[in-house]
Amino acid sequence: MRDASPRPADVDLSVSLGPLRLKNPVVAASGTFGYGCEFAPYLRLADLGGFVTKGLSLLPRRGNAPPRTCETPSGMLNAIGLANVGVEAFLAEKLPALRDCGTAVIANVFGETQEEYVAVSRRLNGAPGLAALELNLSCPNTEKGGLAFGVSPPVVREVVAAVRRAAPDQPLIVKLTPNITDVAAAGRAAKEGGADILSLVNTFLGMAIDLKTRRPVLDNVVGGLSGPAIKPLALYMVHRVHREVGLPVLGMGGISRVEDALEFMLAGSSAVQVGTLNFFDPTGSVRLVREIEAWCVREGVRAVREITGTLRLPASGTPTPPAG
Amino acid sequence: MPFDAPAPVLRHDALNRDHFLLTLECPSIAREARAGQFVMLQTRAGFDPLLRRPMSICRVLPGRRGRIQILYKIVGEGTRYLSQQPVGALVPTLGPLGKGFRLPDGGTRPILVSGGVGIAIFPFLVESLRAARRETPLLVYGARSRGDLVALEFFRKKRVPVRLATEDGSAGTRGLVTRVLEPILADAGGAPLEIFACGPTPMLKAVGALALGAGIPCQLALESQMPCGIGVCLGCVTRCPADQRGPVFRRVCTEGPVFRADEVVL
Ligand SMILES: Cc1cc2nc3c(=O)[nH]c(=O)nc-3n(C[C@H](O)[C@H](O)[C@H](O)COP(=O)(O)OP(=O)(O)OC[C@H]3O[C@@H](n4cnc5c(N)ncnc54)[C@H](O)[C@@H]3O)c2cc1C
Ligand SMILES: Cc1cc2nc3c(=O)[nH]c(=O)nc-3n(C[C@H](O)[C@H](O)[C@H](O)COP(=O)(O)O)c2cc1C
Ligand code: FES
Repeated sequence: MRDASPRPADVDLSVSLGPLRLKNPVVAASGTFGYGCEFAPYLRLADLGGFVTKGLSLLPRRGNAPPRTCETPSGMLNAIGLANVGVEAFLAEKLPALRDCGTAVIANVFGETQEEYVAVSRRLNGAPGLAALELNLSCPNTEKGGLAFGVSPPVVREVVAAVRRAAPDQPLIVKLTPNITDVAAAGRAAKEGGADILSLVNTFLGMAIDLKTRRPVLDNVVGGLSGPAIKPLALYMVHRVHREVGLPVLGMGGISRVEDALEFMLAGSSAVQVGTLNFFDPTGSVRLVREIEAWCVREGVRAVREITGTLRLPASGTPTPPAG
Repeated sequence: MPFDAPAPVLRHDALNRDHFLLTLECPSIAREARAGQFVMLQTRAGFDPLLRRPMSICRVLPGRRGRIQILYKIVGEGTRYLSQQPVGALVPTLGPLGKGFRLPDGGTRPILVSGGVGIAIFPFLVESLRAARRETPLLVYGARSRGDLVALEFFRKKRVPVRLATEDGSAGTRGLVTRVLEPILADAGGAPLEIFACGPTPMLKAVGALALGAGIPCQLALESQMPCGIGVCLGCVTRCPADQRGPVFRRVCTEGPVFRADEVVL
């Protein structure tokens, strides 16, 4: 007799985030997956829900001087300096090879000025084989004193609206910085600017000091913290943005185990991104896909999308700063 | 095709207080590895330490079992946990990675220059030189003190002449390896030499400068913090000679770890 609980083949792992449809909810995060091809020896790209390219700028960038990374407890700091091949080389040399890779290819975009965001996005608009754009708003805004674009809601609204006009054909993901007091305000501004999807979080600003030399470890002094250490902070932000903004959310920050991915989905993520995991376990992202499926089978969940935002909150569930 | 799987620990020997020789069974790495390449080892389950540690492939043992050896020194938490892995434990191992040494042409005398645990990269090179029927190399090996010299027995068995330098003078010449290396380069008597060096960055810088000054080809195996080892994080870069557009950086994990001395600015 057939068991009533779903078998793997019966579990529907596909998810939709506004205009973006993914075959499963695991996406490799920008800056941790190269341009995809680097991972071809380790896994089948087609087994992933998608991946996001290293951030692309208008011109190629070589990045910061080393040392660029430093391991910290259950995490790492990086100050790569957004090194990348530039949008033209991406279109000419990387994207064509990815057209038949069997998964969603998302281009991560940044600029030091609003014009640069617009120019890169315009160039990518409608590029064959591209599933979506993701705007990295953690980049320093050279026109406005070097503070990240993402920290000022009016700036977020403006840059998102300008990109929306320049790239009308691509689903638009706006990636929020966590280095802000009210991340939901930035999310609302992105929505007003025309974002389809919000992704969060980017890395948290941090630093490390070498006590022996009494110098900062990173040549850049300051870096971005990622990995398991940031998970609770990121989960909280995803929870708030999901409840307060009303756009599909792609949550990330320290996801390393299947439990982490599922917690992000309960908190409101429609799909998740995995970053630093790709460094210490290069096949970890596809393992998460299999383990999410196995969890659904065990729990009798027929479509993984059903669990998004099903966190059971206490009656007074509005997040407020805790006392004590 | 790199291999990523848990490799069983077949042996794990302490060479002295802080140096260990780890024997792992990983046939596909043993089959494909070349001298100068490395693996990424997870030193402990869980998230602390989070990242795998790069380790040179010290030797590929003969036989069909597919065994590789790693010679390492405890310098911090990751290597300390690694040293506690018992026989039978499974160590997640990714490799072989990176570009190894380019073997010299025939008729060139290889001079191997090692500082500290940099020695770990040379047994494989010695066996590769032998297999390719190249000249017997000379090993110039420096360490802080007599007790820090390891693997000497291997080089003795392979009949590789060794010249030692210790900072405290407890073995060989007192001072740095360059003190031993300088007269060797000066007295080569016209015979073509090629240098292969691995050790701390200040040593590589000095050896590279000596070689460039003397017009001797020189390959340097660099060290760097390596979060991924496979070329995606862009964290491990080393500085290379600048061009018109400014500073140039290259990834140690994929474009190296072995570079020509004139390719890098240390
Ligand atoms: C390609 C490559 C091959 C290597 N091969 C070997 C080998 O065969 N045997 C061996 O013993 N070691 C080797 N190393 C160095 C080894 O990776 C480090 O010693 C190890 O990562 C230290 O880890 P830990 O957690 O014990 O120390 P950590 O806690 O990470 O660091 C402790 C101390 O070691 C220093 N350190 C950390 N990483 C490195 C590094 N990559 N190079 C130099 N100093 C470092 C730190 O600055 C710190 O002072 C290699 C490194 C590279 C890049
Ligand atoms: C080395 C490194 C490089 C990164 N580069 C980018 C980038 O180019 N663009 C971007 O939007 N995010 C970048 N990120 C941020 C990640 O995409 C992700 O938001 C962050 O690491 C948190 O997820 P994690 O904890 O799973 O790594 C980078 C992260 C790391 C560790
Ligand atoms: S270690 Fe990640 S690119 Fe070299």
